[in-house]
Amino acid sequence: MQATAPVMAEIDPVTLALVQNRLDHIARQMGWVMVRTSRSPIFNQSHDFSCFITDRSGTLVSQADGIPIHTGGGGFAIRALLESFAGDIGEDDAFLLNDPYVAGGNHLPDWVIARPLFVAGELIAFTCNRAHQSDIGGGAAGTYNPEATEIFHEGIRLPPLKLVERGVTRADLWRLLLINTRCPELLDGDLRAMLGSTRIGAEQIAALVAEHGRDAALACFAAVLAHGERRLRNAIAALPHGTYRAEESFDNDCFGPADIRIRVAVTLDGDGATVDFTGTDPQIRGFKNSSLANTHSAVYAAFASFFETDMPRNEGTFRAVRIIAPEGSLVNARPPAPMTMCTVFPAHEIMHACWWALGQADPARNIAGWGKNSFPVTSGTRPGGDTWVLYHWGAGSGAGAVEGRDGFNQMGPMVTLGGLVIPNAETYEQLYPVRVWRQEFRCDAAGPGAWRGGTGVEYEIDIDSDAVYSFRGEGIGRSTGLGVEGGSAGTGGTAVVHGRDGGLCEPPQYALLRFGPSRLAIRSPGGGGFGDPLDREVSRVVRDVRDGVISRDAAASVYGVVLDGDDAADMAATERLRRSRRPRQ
Amino acid sequence: MISGDVRYRIGVDIGGTFTDLVLADSAGAITAFKVASDPADPAAAVMRALDAAAAGKRATPSDLLARCDLFVHGSTIATNTVLERRGARVGCLVTEGFRDSLEIRRGLRPNPWNHREPYPPVLVPRYLRRPVRGRIDRRGAEEAPVCEDDVAAAAAAFARDGADSVAICLFNSFLDDAHERRAADILRRHLPAAHLSISSEVAPIIGEYERTSTAVLNAYVGPRAVAYLRDLDRRLRRLGLPGRLLLIQNNGGAVSVEEIAGRPVALLLSGPAGGVGALRYYSQAIGSDDLISMEIGGTSCDVMLMSRGTVAQTDRIEIDGYDAVTRSIDIHTIGAGGGTIAGVDAAGLLFVGPQGAGARPGPACYGLGGEAPTVTDAQVVLGRLAPATYAGGVVAIDPGRAWRAVETVIGERLGLSVEAAAAGIIRLIEQKLLHALQRISIECGHDPRRFTLVAGGGAGALHGAGVARSLGCRQVYVPRVAGAFCALGMLNSDVRHDFLQVHFGRLDQPDQPIIARDLDKLARAAEATLAREGFAPGQTKLQYALDLRYLGQQWDITVEVPPGALDPAAIRRDFEAEHDRLFGHVQPGGLIEITKLRVAGIGRLPPLAVAAPPGAEKPATAAERRRVWVDAARGWAEVPVYGGADLAPGHRLHGPAIVDEQTTTVLVGPADVLRVDAAGNFVIELGPED
Repeated sequence: MQATAPVMAEIDPVTLALVQNRLDHIARQMGWVMVRTSRSPIFNQSHDFSCFITDRSGTLVSQADGIPIHTGGGGFAIRALLESFAGDIGEDDAFLLNDPYVAGGNHLPDWVIARPLFVAGELIAFTCNRAHQSDIGGGAAGTYNPEATEIFHEGIRLPPLKLVERGVTRADLWRLLLINTRCPELLDGDLRAMLGSTRIGAEQIAALVAEHGRDAALACFAAVLAHGERRLRNAIAALPHGTYRAEESFDNDCFGPADIRIRVAVTLDGDGATVDFTGTDPQIRGFKNSSLANTHSAVYAAFASFFETDMPRNEGTFRAVRIIAPEGSLVNARPPAPMTMCTVFPAHEIMHACWWALGQADPARNIAGWGKNSFPVTSGTRPGGDTWVLYHWGAGSGAGAVEGRDGFNQMGPMVTLGGLVIPNAETYEQLYPVRVWRQEFRCDAAGPGAWRGGTGVEYEIDIDSDAVYSFRGEGIGRSTGLGVEGGSAGTGGTAVVHGRDGGLCEPPQYALLRFGPSRLAIRSPGGGGFGDPLDREVSRVVRDVRDGVISRDAAASVYGVVLDGDDAADMAATERLRRSRRPRQ
Repeated sequence: MISGDVRYRIGVDIGGTFTDLVLADSAGAITAFKVASDPADPAAAVMRALDAAAAGKRATPSDLLARCDLFVHGSTIATNTVLERRGARVGCLVTEGFRDSLEIRRGLRPNPWNHREPYPPVLVPRYLRRPVRGRIDRRGAEEAPVCEDDVAAAAAAFARDGADSVAICLFNSFLDDAHERRAADILRRHLPAAHLSISSEVAPIIGEYERTSTAVLNAYVGPRAVAYLRDLDRRLRRLGLPGRLLLIQNNGGAVSVEEIAGRPVALLLSGPAGGVGALRYYSQAIGSDDLISMEIGGTSCDVMLMSRGTVAQTDRIEIDGYDAVTRSIDIHTIGAGGGTIAGVDAAGLLFVGPQGAGARPGPACYGLGGEAPTVTDAQVVLGRLAPATYAGGVVAIDPGRAWRAVETVIGERLGLSVEAAAAGIIRLIEQKLLHALQRISIECGHDPRRFTLVAGGGAGALHGAGVARSLGCRQVYVPRVAGAFCALGMLNSDVRHDFLQVHFGRLDQPDQPIIARDLDKLARAAEATLAREGFAPGQTKLQYALDLRYLGQQWDITVEVPPGALDPAAIRRDFEAEHDRLFGHVQPGGLIEITKLRVAGIGRLPPLAVAAPPGAEKPATAAERRRVWVDAARGWAEVPVYGGADLAPGHRLHGPAIVDEQTTTVLVGPADVLRVDAAGNFVIELGPED
C-alpha cells in the first residue's frame, strides 16, 4: 500500500466512506421508525420532522432524513442541552426541549428529543429527532396563533428537560406535557415514536463504534465534517468573489400593513461565504420573528438547494458560511417576541434573499420566487369533544422556475421543497366535516418566463360545521413569487369565506376568525418565471394554451406567440411579433 | 429427440439485455438458455430462445411445445412501454374540479433537494383530462348525477385528438362505482374501439391521486401490452402449445392473457415477481422457508424476504417516477449492480453509485468506451472475474482497462494501491447491499440470523458470502441457474387473484353483516375468476384478510382471518403481534380501524419437482489456479477455480475458491466451505470471521 492519503490524512478513505454512508443510513432508519410509528398525520403523512445525529459536542454530523427548513439547525438544541446539563448527562437518559430563546429550539411546536449515546462510560454522540407537534396549548389549536404578541401566547415553553432518567420516563413530567395540549392522545403516541426512533439510532451508532473502534469512529465524525466543509468551500471558491446584496419583505406585521425588510449581503471570497443581515428591520409585534436556529437553518437550506444536490448537509458543510444576524432584528429576535410562524415566514424570505444574492454570482443557477401560502388552518370540535385541525394543503402555491424546468404548479410550502405530501381530498372528506369542490390550476397566474412559474390553484371547500380559521395569508394580495433573470412574478393570491346566508368575508392576511358552516375559496399565488418570456419555446406556449393555463391573449401579449384558430402557432406571425417586442440592439 | 412420455415446463423472462428461458422436465432437470433481447420485437426473442431450447433436445419448437404443460412468461412489455414512453394516447375523464390531481402528484418530490429536475412528463396532458359534472358524496350516495352531455363532449374531444385509450377516474368512486360504470357505457357507445380503464375496477382504493395514476398507467400500457400478449399466445398455440400462455403478475401469481387484459398495470413487476416462485422452489432443497433473495444484475439489485413461507406484499409501486397501487410482492430495488460506477467526489470522498454504466458503454473492462471504474472492474482487478468471454461472446473482459480505470480514477486520487481501491469499492457496494437487506429484514422486525441468503443474478454469488456474514446469516444458497433465477421461479407459481374493498369500521364494533356481505362478494368474484381460469373447486383456495391500523395511523397492516364471522379478540392479537414486529410497540387498548377487506383467490398448479442429479464419483478438481485478492489480511493468493460442470452433489470445497458457472461466478471466502447439495446447487457455509 502506498503512503497516507493526501486529502484524508490519518483516516483510511475507505473507512471514512463506509462511516459516512452508514451515518446517513442510520438517520434514515430513524426516519422510517418515526413515519411508521407516529400517530399524527403531521409526521406520517406530512413528514414534518427530521432525524439527526450529532457528535458529543453537539455538532450535527448527519441529517439524511428531514425537511429542508430543519437543515443543520439541530446542533443549537444539543449545545443548549449540553450547557444546561453539564456533568449530569447519563446513560439511558433522554432529553426534551423546544424553546427558541433558552434551548436552541427553532420555534415552539418543534420539539426535540435527544438521546446521548455512551460507549464504555464515555459520551460519544447524540441521536435526535425534531418534530412538529399537533398542538402545544397556546392561543390557538394547531400551534399557530396569528394573534400572538408574546411567546407566552404560543404554547408551552420547554427548557432542556430530562424526560427519561436512567431508562425511566418521568411520569410527572409526562403528565405535565399531556395536560398542556388539546390533543393528548396524539402527543402521547408521537412522543413515544420520537423516543423509539432515537433509541434505534443510538443502538445503530453503538454498533458502528463497536465495529470500527472508538478512536476511528470519533476521527470519522470529524472527517465527515471536514469533508462537508471542503465541498462547500470548493463550490463557493468557483464563483466570482464579491459582495452580493438582496432583500425580501413582508407587507404586514400580522396586524396591519407594514413595510418590513430583510436585507442580506452575501460576501463570497476564496474561502467561504459571509451572510450578513445587518440592515434588516427590527423584530415585529406579530409571530413572524425568527429564532437564531431557524435563521441559520434557512440560510443553510438556501445554500444547499442552490448548489449540487449531493452537497452534504451536516454542520461541517456550513462551517463555510458565517452568519451575522443582529440581535433584536427580525432574524434574531429578543424575548418575548412571538415566533411560531418563523419556519415558514420569514424562512421563505430568508431563502429567497440568499438565492437572489447567490444568483448574482451565478445567474444560471438563480431560482425564481415561490408563491407564499395564502390559506388558513381550520379547527373545530367533534360532537364527542375532540378537537380537529385541518391544514388546507390543497390550496398550496405555485413554485418558482429554474433554468430547465417550469415552476411546479402546486407544491407544499417552499421551505419543504416538495418534501410535504398534499393529502388527497377524498381522505380529507373522511377525516373532517368537509366537502372539497375544486383543486385546479389557475389560468394566467404563472409568472411568465422562458421557464414559467407554477400556476397556483383554485381551491374550494365547504366546511360544514362551526370552525375557527387561523389565517396566515402572506401570499394574499401582492405578488410573492418574483421572477428572475428577466422572468416576471406570478399573480398574487386571494381568500374569501362565503357564509351559507350569502354573506361574504375577505379576511385580513393574519387573523383568528370564527365562522358557521361556510365555503372557503382560495386562489393560491403563482410562482415566478426564469428568463425572458419571449425566449420561451413556442411549443411550450402552445401546450400551455391548449392546457388552459395560459390564455390566447397572454400568449400573444406576454410570450409573443400568435395562435391560429386551432390553437396552433402561426410561426411567421410569432417571429414578427417577437422581433418587434425585443429591444433593438 | 425427445424420448418417452417426458413433459416440460417452460419459463421465459425478458430482460433489458437478455431473454432467459428455463426448461424443466418432469424429473426436475433444469436447463437455462440465454439469448439477446429484441426490444423492437420481444416475441422474436422468445421464439429464438425456444429454438435454442428445442435444438438442445434435437427437436423442433413444436415438439417441445406439444409436451409443454405450463408456459409461463414474465414480460417486461408493460414496464418497457413506460420506460420508453411508447404507451397509448390516453384521455382521462375526471370529476369537475379535480382535473389536475394527476399532474399535481400530491406535490411530493422523491428527493426534495433535487428541485431542479422536472417531474417526468405527465402521461395525460391537461387538455385530454376532461371534466364531468356529477358527484358521489363521502358516504357513497349520489349528490349530483353524472352529466351525460359532459361525457359525450369528452368522448368527442378524445376522438378529435386521437386518444384511443381512456381512463375513467371520478371522485369518490371507491365508495360507489355507479358513475364510472355509467360513464363507461356512454364512452363505449361513442368510442367503441377505445381501451377503457375504470379506476374503481383497476384500483378500488381511497385517494384520487393514486387511483387516477393507476388507472392512467393501466390505460397507457394496455393497448400495446395486450396486443403483444395476445399475439404471443396465438403464436405459441399455433405452434402446438396445448394450454394457454400464463403471465406472472406483480403479486407473484400467474394469470392468463384474457384475465390480465383489463388490468395490465398488474404486469409492471412481472419479471422480478417471478422470484417468489424461485424462493418457494429452493426452500424445498434448502429445507427452510426463511429465505432472503439478493438478485444482482448489471444495473440494480432486487431483494425480497420470505418468512415462514410467506413473502410480504405491498400495494404501492413506482415505475420511472409514475405511481401505481396494485397488489405486489414487496421487492426492494437499489441501484447496485456490476455496472455501478465508483468515483471520488470534489472533496476527496470515495463513492459508489447510484449512477451506472448500463450495458453500453458498460464497465471499463468491456472496452466499449466506458472510462469510469465500476464494481465489475473492481472484481476484475481483484482476480475474481476471469479475463474471458461472457454471455456467449457478447462481452469480453480486458483486465488492463479495469486496472487503469481503478488506478487513475480512484487509487491515485486517494493515495491507495489499485487493489486497496478495488477492495474499497467492493466494501462500499457491499455496505449498500447490506443496508438494503437490513431494510427488508431488521427494519421489518425479522432477525436475519434465521435466514438463508439466496444469491441470484449474474453477480449475486460474488457478494453473497461477504454480505450474508455481515447480516448474520449462517449460509448462502447459490442456484446453479442463478442467472435465470426469475425465469425458473415462474415455473413454480400458483395462479393468484387479489380483490379488495375499502371499508370504514372499527374492530371493537365490527359491522358483521356488512363485512360478511362484502367479503362474500369478493370471494364470489375470486371464485368466478378461478373458474374461468379452468380450476375445479378442489384446486383452489381463498384467503381472507383485513387491513387494520390504530386510529389515526396512515399505514395499514394486513392480517389474515379465517372465513366466517370475525373474532375481534383474535384479530387484535394477530394485529398487535404484527405491529410489535414491525414497529416495536403496541398501544394497549388502542382503537383499531378496519380500512380494507381483502380476498385472494389461489388456483394451485402442481409444484415443480426438485431435481436429483447423480452424485459425485470422484473428488472435485480445480480447472485452474488464479491469482486472486483474498482479503486485506491475506492479500494475493493462488486460488483454485472450479468449473461448475465439474461439480456434483456431495462435493465439498474449502475456501478460498471460485466456481465459474454458466450464468454466475461464486466466490467462496477463506473461512467458508462450499458444498453441492442433492439438488445440484451450491451451499456456502459461512465460517467465523477472523
